[in-house]
Amino acid sequence: MHAEIAVGLHAGEGLALDTHGTWTDEALMLAITLRDRTAFATIYDRYADLVYSTSLRILADTQLAEDVTQDVFVRLWNRPETFVAERGRFLSWLMSVSRNRAVDLLRARGRRRAREVESLIPTEEYAAVVAPDEDPAHAALLHEEQWQVRRALKELPDDQRRALELAYFGGLTQQEIAATLHEPLGTIKTRIRLGMMKLRRALESER
Amino acid sequence: MTPHITQEQADEYAIGSLEPEMERVVALHLAECPACRDVARDSERLASRLGLSTPITPPAAPARLRRKVFTSAGISRPSLHRRAYTYGRAIAGVAAAVVALLAFTAMLGLRGQVNDLQEQNAAFQLELDDFRSARIEVAALTDKVSEQARAAALAEANARQDRELQVALLSPDATTAEVTSITGDDRAVGRIVWDGAQNKLWFVATNLERLDYGKTYQIWVNNGGQYVPLGTFNADATGFIRYVTEIPEGLGGYDSAAVTIEKAGGSDQRTSAPVFVANLEGIGR
Repeated sequence: MHAEIAVGLHAGEGLALDTHGTWTDEALMLAITLRDRTAFATIYDRYADLVYSTSLRILADTQLAEDVTQDVFVRLWNRPETFVAERGRFLSWLMSVSRNRAVDLLRARGRRRAREVESLIPTEEYAAVVAPDEDPAHAALLHEEQWQVRRALKELPDDQRRALELAYFGGLTQQEIAATLHEPLGTIKTRIRLGMMKLRRALESER
Repeated sequence: MTPHITQEQADEYAIGSLEPEMERVVALHLAECPACRDVARDSERLASRLGLSTPITPPAAPARLRRKVFTSAGISRPSLHRRAYTYGRAIAGVAAAVVALLAFTAMLGLRGQVNDLQEQNAAFQLELDDFRSARIEVAALTDKVSEQARAAALAEANARQDRELQVALLSPDATTAEVTSITGDDRAVGRIVWDGAQNKLWFVATNLERLDYGKTYQIWVNNGGQYVPLGTFNADATGFIRYVTEIPEGLGGYDSAAVTIEKAGGSDQRTSAPVFVANLEGIGR
């Protein structure tokens, strides 16, 4: 792995011009710690749409979603060491950071929503996440993973999926979810517990 | 260390559904427990995949946002390689236009740098605010923990004193004396328990009058006409008191005990008439 990264970095600096697109996220992050601007541009092009779309879903405000996207990537460039590869995948980390920043902003503005969260299953085919000049293999892997998550969510009972969505995308606590849905707190806790359990089982079986 | 977190709590923490107070408790525990941290990370990995379910539908991140992010990150231009890759021979074609715009670009560059600095300053201020908020939260949490620790210590001390009093009451070496009210307040009922084996004296009473601010009850033993102070106390909200003190060494003889009302902190010499007395003749010697 380290040899691959070293070769990639060497090639990126001196020989080939277009190898960054084939690098893994973790290799790109290592390069970013070495202040490789092309690596940063590649990561940005690979995930900016995903970060923006997730933020937009949480905040329902294009300007705020832009602010969160900007904040996430500027912090990523300024403090890349906050991602520790040994603790997990880059994509998980990026999603956690983006979601947390968006929910923090939502709460700071007192705009907690008890709105319906849109269906997780899009009617149209999901659009490309990566920039056109990115590695198609990477894009295909990401699409596959998105499809797995959507399918796992689709298989959950509606009430369990809704509780998870209101917590994760709506930024609501259990008590707030209970109040929103006019259900007892214990019912909501059970739905979240069962939903996470089934999600874990479904996604682990995909590996 | 607080109790280990359950898988259910780890999941709730990961998707952000815990109430703020419980979230802080869990976060505090995770900071000091590597085993639970692993459980929570697993839950966070699962929760983060929920984000992948978001469909990427137009409008996606606007093109101008890319430039804005790069400027804010202090990357005014992509690297040489990327530019060469992206623009290639087109650079040569626009070279003349670049020269013509050089002066204008320089001005924009300066403005961009000023904007960069302003944005970096704003980002720094935000981080500073975050840090201050975190400090306040930690301080509040520390206060709460300290308060709980104090309450637990007080409860433990009370329980220990209860146990010791029970031992004294069961001990063949202990003697008791009835406490009599001088003021005629027959609602107050009290006993003095003297335990030579534990070398302790208890004053236990109920229905004591609550004293005004700045005043305290003080107990004395009369040792051959000289009153020796044995400490101060106040009744609780229900009028109950269980006061215990060590019997001073060298206290060879005593005839009676008295309780007076003194200024807060107690007095070296009695300054008022007793409100309660107890006959100690024949006990404890």
